[in-house]
Amino acid sequence: MNPLRKNCLALGACFALAFLLSGRLYSQGLDPSVIAAPPHDSWPTYHGDYSGRRHSDLTEITPQNVSSLSLAWAFQTGQTATIKSSPLLVNGILYFTLPDYVWAVDARTGHEVWHYQYGPNNGLHLGQRGVGMYKDSIFTLTPDAHLVSLDARTGKVRWNVVVGDIDKGYWTSMAPLVIRNHVIVGVGGDLDNLTGYMRSVDPDTGATQWQWDSTPPAGTPNMTTGGMIWLSGTYDPELNLMYTGTGNPTPVLNGKTRPGDDLYTCSIVALNPDTGKLAWAFQVSPHDTHDWDATEVPVIVDASFDGQPRKLLMQASRNGYFFVLDRTNGKNLLTTPFGPVNWASGIDKDGRPIPDPDKEPAPDGRLIAPDEGGLTNFRSPSFDPKTGLFIVSARESYSIYFAKPADGAYGWAGADYDLWGKGIIKAIDYQNGKIRWTHDIGQGSSAGILTTDSGLAFTGDDHGNVLALDTSNGKTLWHAGTGGTISISPTTYELDHHQYVLTAAGGVLFAWRLPEGH
Amino acid sequence: MLGAFASRLQATLRVTLVLLVATSFVSAQAAKPSTRKAAAPAPPPSAAAERGKSLFARDCAFCHGRDAAGGETGPDLTRSRLVVRDVEGDKIRAVVQNGRPEKGMPPFPKLPPAQVNDLIAFIRHQIFEANAKPGGRRGVDVKDLQTGNADAGKVYFNGPGRCASCHSPAGDLAGIATRYVGLELEKRMLYPVDAKAKVTLTTASGEKVSGTLAYQDEFHIALTTADGWYRSWPVHLVKFEIDDPAHAHVEQFEKYSDSDIHNLMAYLQTLK
Repeated sequence: MNPLRKNCLALGACFALAFLLSGRLYSQGLDPSVIAAPPHDSWPTYHGDYSGRRHSDLTEITPQNVSSLSLAWAFQTGQTATIKSSPLLVNGILYFTLPDYVWAVDARTGHEVWHYQYGPNNGLHLGQRGVGMYKDSIFTLTPDAHLVSLDARTGKVRWNVVVGDIDKGYWTSMAPLVIRNHVIVGVGGDLDNLTGYMRSVDPDTGATQWQWDSTPPAGTPNMTTGGMIWLSGTYDPELNLMYTGTGNPTPVLNGKTRPGDDLYTCSIVALNPDTGKLAWAFQVSPHDTHDWDATEVPVIVDASFDGQPRKLLMQASRNGYFFVLDRTNGKNLLTTPFGPVNWASGIDKDGRPIPDPDKEPAPDGRLIAPDEGGLTNFRSPSFDPKTGLFIVSARESYSIYFAKPADGAYGWAGADYDLWGKGIIKAIDYQNGKIRWTHDIGQGSSAGILTTDSGLAFTGDDHGNVLALDTSNGKTLWHAGTGGTISISPTTYELDHHQYVLTAAGGVLFAWRLPEGH
Repeated sequence: MLGAFASRLQATLRVTLVLLVATSFVSAQAAKPSTRKAAAPAPPPSAAAERGKSLFARDCAFCHGRDAAGGETGPDLTRSRLVVRDVEGDKIRAVVQNGRPEKGMPPFPKLPPAQVNDLIAFIRHQIFEANAKPGGRRGVDVKDLQTGNADAGKVYFNGPGRCASCHSPAGDLAGIATRYVGLELEKRMLYPVDAKAKVTLTTASGEKVSGTLAYQDEFHIALTTADGWYRSWPVHLVKFEIDDPAHAHVEQFEKYSDSDIHNLMAYLQTLK
């Protein structure tokens, strides 16, 4: 067939599909099949789509007009907790969370439609990353490790199931990931020696479909526990593989009771979402003793590498290394630091950093780069296809790590102290790991990154400023002072022919757009 | 009658608490190896401490550890000077309510006073627990940090460490080991958190202003002048230079070996 005709037909099909789907969205809630190719007026999952690129093809806001970006509305939760969730947008309604709360807010006006408050509980209220949606159900994980299904129209509870035992030390904070009729959730819990796991739950009934354990059962001699699931993974519908990063081993700073690699902690694991079977795993930090989870977003990119088109997976990891893998089989293509690191003696033949035994926590302390918070953390990176830049919110840092026999072999099992840090947005060339540009943001860290096709990168600094940067060189084109701690990754969508960018600071959600008539 | 008894009990408890924690604090400060007897076992937790335990688990444990002896990003509260010296509980209460935003601790202003009291009771109980552990308590003791050689540390100080370019043992560092001990000394040695940066600035009209740096982001700079006034400017309207004495410490991070750090620590501890 003539390629041009093929493209026209494809385009026509897309329009038809979008038309059909928009009607279906409104009457049935969210059809999970759109998550792979979301319409412009949606942000149907934590990452925006299944790829984790956090890159939008919306172009109304450009480097030329972004200096006029202004506040469309703000929603004040009235809570002192800091918003850490990426709001979903479906059918003109935003759904986002704080620990114990879910809000539904009109995306046009910023006014509340409903809110849900979970009952008092003793779960850890550290943070909440957001909800998942399936048809007309909203799913939220609670601090005490329950999964609750709410009617998206009203916020009323449909069902509530336990996914982790809080008395053992589990808690939950991640945004559930919906793939077809699977609601994928995972647990947290670093203060005890517990097995980390992912579960797939039936969206209609809450019944467990499968569970995948990161590590052997607690108490297995010479084996590790841990491997918690702190963040939603990404998904390739063609390969039918879900990619998730696992957390660090426990006991955290003492590796003596868990000799060897400690599989599958600090690993990127590829699971079949229908069965939970492991297809492959790549370990980012073998035998970690620094609390460096590998749960950062495993970003799916189809691009050329070494001159060949490849199906890639990229992660800028907490331990300070940037990894590029072949996502069909987990084979390593590139491993390189993206900031100061001093804890590895080299890279092994499989592309894994080799931990230096002299840099394990010691009774008299060891100077370690990065600190326990890592060279990056949960803040979402973004991949911009035009520039080939993997942009990440990084933080260079140094710390001292201690562990001695009196610290035991349970939970933290040691002590670490941050000395100094500096927040820097870094733009990494994915083909070779070179840093093309950097942008200082202060002592600490701030927002994750969102890039758009018009060449903008939205993020924040450590002083409460939201920033719009030029993706090609990192220069600031617009900013606004929000007066709060920024701990989110920006999202964007189109409504009524206008592009909105959402950020949050403290307990307030801000919607930015160009003024009318622009 | 109950009121008088209660206030006398409170006074007795207060004195006991201060004595007990002061003793443990002082013995932790001793530079020589510990020869004290095993500490007495901790008393059973009060009802308030038991309630405080689950509150602590909910809101504090992730950062400060289940046992309040330090965790992911939060310090060991059982060794905290503020905690140990806070007889009335008002200092702890203020930190709980306001947080420590500059250090990443969120505020908890909506916690009812009764719950804050339970948290305080739990933290105080944990001090007993930590000191009662046989075979040494967890966390970093002064005696853990004595693996270096003071002579080698002095050579490093005057040589590759470049410390002598800004510091002198008879000058600014005289008595440093009396002012700070143990982990606190080592942390400040590696990065002096309280060091203030100085700014010299020229405004568009040619006015020269100098002071200590009070705020800086990519859009604004602010300083506090010698007579105490805070002044700020948009950065594009001024020319400025910043002298940050802590910067040399940051540059040194990638140069240290761990032995250098332990030797330097041994040397600094001689500067009493």
